Amino acid sequence: MPLVNLPTFAPQLIADLEGLGTERVDTPVIQPAEPFLDMAGEDLRRRIFLTESETGKSLCLRPEFTIPVCLRHIETATGTPKRYAYLGEVFRQRREGSNEFYQAGIEDLGEPDVAKADARAVHDALTVLKNRLPGVAFSVVLGDQAVFEAVVAACGLPAGWQKRLVHAFGNQAQLQRLMADLSDPAPSGVFGPEVDRLAILGKLDDEATLIAHIDATMEETGYSTNASRSPADIARRLREKMELANTRLDARTLALLREFLALELSLAEAPGALAGFAEKAGLSLGAALLRFESRVAALSATGVDPATITYRAAFGRPLDYYTGLVFEIAPAGEALVLAGGGRFDRLLTLLGAKERIPAVGFSLWLDRIAGVKGAAA
Amino acid sequence: MTVTIGLPSKGRMKEDSSAVLARAGFSVVAVGNDRSYRGRVEGRDDIEIAFLSASEISREIANGTVDFGVTGEDLVREGLAEADARVEFCARLGFGHADVVVAVPEIWLDVDTMADLGDVAQDFRARHGRRLTIATKYWRLTQQFFSGNHGIQLYRIVESLGATEGAPASGSADIIVDITSTGSTLTANHLKILSDGVILKSEACLVRARKQEHEGDPVVAEIIARVRGAL
Repeated sequence: MPLVNLPTFAPQLIADLEGLGTERVDTPVIQPAEPFLDMAGEDLRRRIFLTESETGKSLCLRPEFTIPVCLRHIETATGTPKRYAYLGEVFRQRREGSNEFYQAGIEDLGEPDVAKADARAVHDALTVLKNRLPGVAFSVVLGDQAVFEAVVAACGLPAGWQKRLVHAFGNQAQLQRLMADLSDPAPSGVFGPEVDRLAILGKLDDEATLIAHIDATMEETGYSTNASRSPADIARRLREKMELANTRLDARTLALLREFLALELSLAEAPGALAGFAEKAGLSLGAALLRFESRVAALSATGVDPATITYRAAFGRPLDYYTGLVFEIAPAGEALVLAGGGRFDRLLTLLGAKERIPAVGFSLWLDRIAGVKGAAA
Repeated sequence: MTVTIGLPSKGRMKEDSSAVLARAGFSVVAVGNDRSYRGRVEGRDDIEIAFLSASEISREIANGTVDFGVTGEDLVREGLAEADARVEFCARLGFGHADVVVAVPEIWLDVDTMADLGDVAQDFRARHGRRLTIATKYWRLTQQFFSGNHGIQLYRIVESLGATEGAPASGSADIIVDITSTGSTLTANHLKILSDGVILKSEACLVRARKQEHEGDPVVAEIIARVRGAL
């Protein structure tokens, strides 16, 4: 096995990225582990290579590029908009395939025209793939969390439920389970015996009394009132939960959500289908639908035919910094994802950026591209 | 082939394991003095005993250096990825009961289920500028239960090697995942177990390393059959 695993087409790919008007960046292979675990959750711990500095600081081998590129952007404070390109090795513990492999991609930071930037991300990923894999047909799947959020909001569901549903979006099993739970009152209304006791004592009647009771109990039992959840936090959510205790997701709303999540059709027909769905259901999807339409128009303007893209309403990523567009590109008829991307408008703020920076990007799996190239040759 | 059984080297677990084996007709004696880390079964040259600490036993089973071990299911499932593919739980022995549970401060009046906890975790960063923290020594079980069973990703684990139940009051973590047998330590620390927060009902088990050479070995089959018969 050759020790050098940089794909032979890397120089051409770098030229592709440069031709798309980007600035090449590199980031250290050894990264602080905290931002990755904070953004993606503890699950990531099993899938990355962790180590420690002499001083006990948690470090990891770069598992992907988006977070390092964004952190570098924040550090260098060079202003937006910026189009960064990268190509380098990433390290992940995988059951199958090598633990170290190359990725390349573009992170497009701070472009205020969201539709244009979204369209450009899909276009750029397709352009690079077509250049590197001439003659190969691709299938593109696209999803949009913002449309789901708009559907949930338009259904008039309680705020707490909206958050739960949006949070589960992208995880099919979890979302289906949650919808079933919300339709069945039992699991949503569990209260401990202490809450029953407080109800009898009349301590739940108004929020101020409840907060005072929680505050006093925390003092007595040696719990700090500001280290973790505060008395006000607990009181507010308890009252919210009590208001929801006798509510359930009605059959009509459940059917609507299921109908929406089952939508899968050509992106060219998707704006019409979504408008039709909204009208039939009597929902106003407003701005989310407009943004969806303008993205489709912007895609056409870049020369990508929306009819060649599949819109799947249930497609998303269950991470809280993904906010809108997600897409994946695979060889037609195969499940092998060669490129994946999406919009992450919340990430830079979460990583410490002072102002809100809208962002969209994609990454390419070079080992998989090399595999397809080998098979085609 | 000589079959090696790893047994706990001290305390209640040592006595209880020896008692179960004795009822199964395997009388365990230490080689040399009482403190020895090697033992044998009276009248059986084909069985060896290795006295090990409870956490070592799961590791030694995984390595295949012992054929059987008596240890808590929690330690095996925490210590080994894909435990069921690597070991067989041959018998549940009826002692060493301990539940691995998710416990939150009693005063979190609004939190009684994992779904409640998911809501809290989701908002935590926006409200407190950091993720929800869990004190535990059960990294693997916590991750599997939170993300696998309940779709909760947004939390951070704070490693805790002792007095985990004190972490929420001391402010070093928000909630805990820990073992409990009677629940009294949790109550004393003003913690409550979530109604669907039992991750694992653990007890001492006879555990076998899945090894090729065990197939058709009469001693291996005999140990399993006699321990099961003694319960």
